[in-house]
Amino acid sequence: MAEPRTEFAISVEVNGTTVERTVESRSLLIDFLRSDLALTGTKVSCELQVCGVCTVLVDGRPVSSCTYLTVDADGRSVTTVESLSSGGKLHPLQEAFVDCHALQCGFCTPGFLMMAKGLLDANPGAEREEIVEHLEGNICRCTGYRPIVEAVESVARQQRAEAK
Amino acid sequence: MLPPFRLARPKTLDEALDAIGEDQVPYCGGTELLLAMGAGLHRPDVLVDVKRLPELAGIRLDGNDLVIGATERHDRVAEHPLVREHVPMLAAVERAVGNARVRNQGSIGGNLCFAEPKSDVGTALIAFQAVATLVSPGGRRALSVEEFIAGPYYSAKEPDELLVDVRIPLGGPEVRAEYVKYQIMERPTLGVAIAHEPETGACRVVVGAVGEVPAVWTFAAPDEIDADTIASEVDPTPDLTGSERYKRHVTGVYVRRAVDALMSRGS
Amino acid sequence: MTEFSTVGTSVRRRDLVEKVTGSAEYTVDVTMPGMLHAKVVRSDRAHARILSIDATEALAAPDVVAVVTAADLEPLFPRFGHIIADHFILAPDKVRYFGEPVAIVLAETLGAASDAMRLVRVEYEDLPSVMTAAAALAEGAPLVHEQAYDATGDDSFKSLTGKKHTMEFPEAEGARTNVAHEVDLEWGDVDAARAGAHLVVESTVHYPMLYAYGMEPYNAVASYVDGALSVVSSAQHPYMVRDDLARIFDLPLSRVRVSTPYIGGGYGSKSYTKVEPLASVASWMVGRPVKLVLSVEEAIYTTRVDTADIHVRSSFDAEGHILAREIDIVMDSGAYADNSPLVLAKCVNRSFGPYRVPNLRVRGRSLYTNTAPASSYRGFGAPQGNFAAETNLDQAAEQLGLDGAEIRRRNLVRHGEAILPGKRGIDADLLADLEIAASSLERDRKDTPYYGMGVSCSASDAGAYPISTAQVRIQFDGSVIVFSGSTEMGQGSQSLLSQVAAEELGVDLGVVSVVQSDTSVTPYERTTGASRTSTLVGLALQRACADARTRIRDMAAEIWSCTPDEVIDLPGAVQGPEGAKLAYGEVVRKWFGGTAGEVTGIGLLRREGVTQEMPPFWETGMVGVAVEVDPETGVVTVDQLVTVADIGFAINPQAVEGQDLGAATQGLGGALYEELVYDGPQLANANMVDYRVPRVTDMPRKIDLVLAERRDGIGPYGAKGAGEGQLNPIGGAVAAAVARAVGRWPNRLPLTPERVWRLLNDLEDSDPPA
Repeated sequence: MAEPRTEFAISVEVNGTTVERTVESRSLLIDFLRSDLALTGTKVSCELQVCGVCTVLVDGRPVSSCTYLTVDADGRSVTTVESLSSGGKLHPLQEAFVDCHALQCGFCTPGFLMMAKGLLDANPGAEREEIVEHLEGNICRCTGYRPIVEAVESVARQQRAEAK
Repeated sequence: MLPPFRLARPKTLDEALDAIGEDQVPYCGGTELLLAMGAGLHRPDVLVDVKRLPELAGIRLDGNDLVIGATERHDRVAEHPLVREHVPMLAAVERAVGNARVRNQGSIGGNLCFAEPKSDVGTALIAFQAVATLVSPGGRRALSVEEFIAGPYYSAKEPDELLVDVRIPLGGPEVRAEYVKYQIMERPTLGVAIAHEPETGACRVVVGAVGEVPAVWTFAAPDEIDADTIASEVDPTPDLTGSERYKRHVTGVYVRRAVDALMSRGS
Repeated sequence: MTEFSTVGTSVRRRDLVEKVTGSAEYTVDVTMPGMLHAKVVRSDRAHARILSIDATEALAAPDVVAVVTAADLEPLFPRFGHIIADHFILAPDKVRYFGEPVAIVLAETLGAASDAMRLVRVEYEDLPSVMTAAAALAEGAPLVHEQAYDATGDDSFKSLTGKKHTMEFPEAEGARTNVAHEVDLEWGDVDAARAGAHLVVESTVHYPMLYAYGMEPYNAVASYVDGALSVVSSAQHPYMVRDDLARIFDLPLSRVRVSTPYIGGGYGSKSYTKVEPLASVASWMVGRPVKLVLSVEEAIYTTRVDTADIHVRSSFDAEGHILAREIDIVMDSGAYADNSPLVLAKCVNRSFGPYRVPNLRVRGRSLYTNTAPASSYRGFGAPQGNFAAETNLDQAAEQLGLDGAEIRRRNLVRHGEAILPGKRGIDADLLADLEIAASSLERDRKDTPYYGMGVSCSASDAGAYPISTAQVRIQFDGSVIVFSGSTEMGQGSQSLLSQVAAEELGVDLGVVSVVQSDTSVTPYERTTGASRTSTLVGLALQRACADARTRIRDMAAEIWSCTPDEVIDLPGAVQGPEGAKLAYGEVVRKWFGGTAGEVTGIGLLRREGVTQEMPPFWETGMVGVAVEVDPETGVVTVDQLVTVADIGFAINPQAVEGQDLGAATQGLGGALYEELVYDGPQLANANMVDYRVPRVTDMPRKIDLVLAERRDGIGPYGAKGAGEGQLNPIGGAVAAAVARAVGRWPNRLPLTPERVWRLLNDLEDSDPPA
């Protein structure tokens, strides 16, 4: 088992579906998702973990898929932007992003959405300060950020109202 | 696109020690290693994934030591009840490392082994006089984190050694600690850690990120901490965040701010 | 706004819905059957002769199909450039900057291309290099280009303001220089005015080297088959790219198809040709489609922003009225001209401000250096020139005992007054805008030490050249498809055009869809830049809708056997004699005689009528910034940001606000954080770790985005363009605010903590080497 290899058979749950593939050791999760599975919703930009564009959730927590070996997702569950809406119904975060105009070119948006989902799933009703702190590692070049924070905040507010 | 490499996934410490070597490097979260490989700075033949080794995982008390396994991720360290109870300053430092994704991927051990100068974790651990445990086929050895971080991007770990854990001694007098950092870009320009023993008055000041390795000063009491001396003695690395002169200056500013934070919390 | 049904409201943007679900297609998501992957071998030195390229080892590597070098391009026109065709697709005999493409490796997989790229051996002989504008200007400086090139700029370029545009190199040996382009602008008698002035204020500033960071790096997929080229690309201006590609392959325009899906961030940096020739010549070589995606580092080396060193001398009377302005602009435009000649011309036009300047002399020079090529960036020269002249004006205010708002009040042009002789008068009420910005700042002023405020304004001759076409196709069910060549890069053109069509045709927004940016499908659109789409494409689309309605009326008249003038327009329908009514769909079905057919309306726009006078409109900027400075570290925190967009009419107010905050935030980036720094032959920070852009934590405490809608533009419903205006004056406003907070005037951006700390302590910009 410890013998070094360049190919690995893996089993990953991607957006609720179990996927079994053989991947190269150097395969990055972003390339696996985009090229092998044709899930092109997730984008890639800086390749240095600082822009957040490639954010997906692994076991519910945000990771930079540009710096995550696909083999490390073996036996785990991966969630991407494609999973957010179901049956034509947008996720509350997606609704809020559209309503608040929290995107323009949209290239950073899948990353922001998955970051926000990671936060609000773990910490429903998060306060503005926590939201800003959590999104600090994501870059948006179009909006000036305020509409993004407002969008996430509006969903957090809904969560707080529902919790009462 | 990463250059090709082979990957080993040992399940026991012995297998792992067998697998590592000059060109067969330990791999955990990849937040430093994969970036270096992507940039073409590092081209190991084999990555030895150490995430399956039980000896390198876990956060626990062992006698008078708080033991943090090398593969523990930053966010786990930040959130762990034992860390928050015994060394809240370290929990706070870990909560502010990189960004949420880096904290979820990167490990405390990887951070120390890579010895990136612009880091907070080593500085904080040195303040607590933490000790690194290394294991090799020849046996174990313990080394202070201060000695372990030997140079920029250079740790005292031999190619046949694995970092098993870091141990923070809790047996001595109570320690109150503060950490302040000056960060204007992606990585800290300066971090100042102070560990203060109220019973003895002793203060240990560690200044990191500003130079090649964290540097340590000790004082008999908080009001004896001499920010100007520290500022004149640091060895800043000039870069895009500041010249040597500026970094020396902000070192003085932040040592004073750290002392103020310590005093205001104490009162 | 009951006057309109659809425009003037912040409608839900359908493009945003596609984007939040991940289903929106960008060029990076496009594949072609059987495509190869390309990686580019790039120069690792600034200026060197290429002695040899050895691809033997690379070609022997698994899955490698070909390695393309300049020698292979012999049968083609191997250069591009829409103003000066000086840009080599692949470096031929020498490289002119670190990062210049030298060879293309083509392989079956990205991994194979990436591995083989490292196996191509290039042997160089170093040449002396010029790394700054000053070095390029020096006597006996090494030449970046030894030869002259064809000028490819058309009338639209030649008709720019300025008495002198130099594009050809002098033929005589020894007379050649590194000056890529020169623009002069002059009126009145500057010397006499200065001689009689009460106050003369001189200042020199440096505008930094920036990177736009459109987050989707430049990329393209190209397929050359049987004398026809098809390219999908991240280009803002697919038609301009098509023209360059047609020249390279000597193909008729009809055989070159360039299409652009959604663009992941443009900000001007995706204007004009980038990687399309690389992918296209590669495909031409091997006869298979080729995909090329750059990394961010490669993108930085592909296009960055022109730096500028600008000297300003302004003369004033005792009341603070401007008597004369003299401005000297030197831009470092990098190794190839690209769009820098236009950026320079615009910098000249936009440098002296929307003021009454009775005497003016501006000299602009754009220089070739051995650095990454510079080209368009949001604002087109305005951020550079405006920063220099606005800082100078604020320094004058200080010396005259006036505040920043007052000196502007005394000099701003009034509505309709021209700032460029023979050009359209300013179609904005800048005085009113100034009061809005100044009072907003004042209202929330904090009473703390090291607090400073600045207001600043700009005027840009915007809209580019007025050539635009649009089509609407009314379907037999009455629904509508809009065709436009303009690209959607987040600014909201898709949504805006659907709003205009719905309004003009009186149909529900839900039945309108928009098809954009495909040179073989959509009608011609010169560019998508200079904030032109809402105004110029909007006008063309209004005309297309009017044309469609005319056709519908004619068809209805046939159906009703009456004359067309007996048919009148209703929303989405027509009414004939005796109250007969037919919806658009019914007209189409009845006229064609089946459940079939469609009606096409065409709208054409050129330089005539409302768009005769240049520029088509002025895009003005009016901003206020308040900062707090940490006196110990020099860290600047933005406390207030106020923008006043004089946009005439906001077709989608939320979209305009989004553009304004986005532009202002980019402006704050360039003013406070961003700067590419050369260290020897290469950049020290060609990555997003070390090139710091604004983050969510940098958001100003207070953001006040004001839309001044006075319906005074020539565009639909009185609209004018938006998107750049609130970036242009940010540098000046930040510089003034910081100067007032710390008591000294900065001479460069960005105002990093160390620079501000040095200002506070009256230290030199840098220390002498130890």
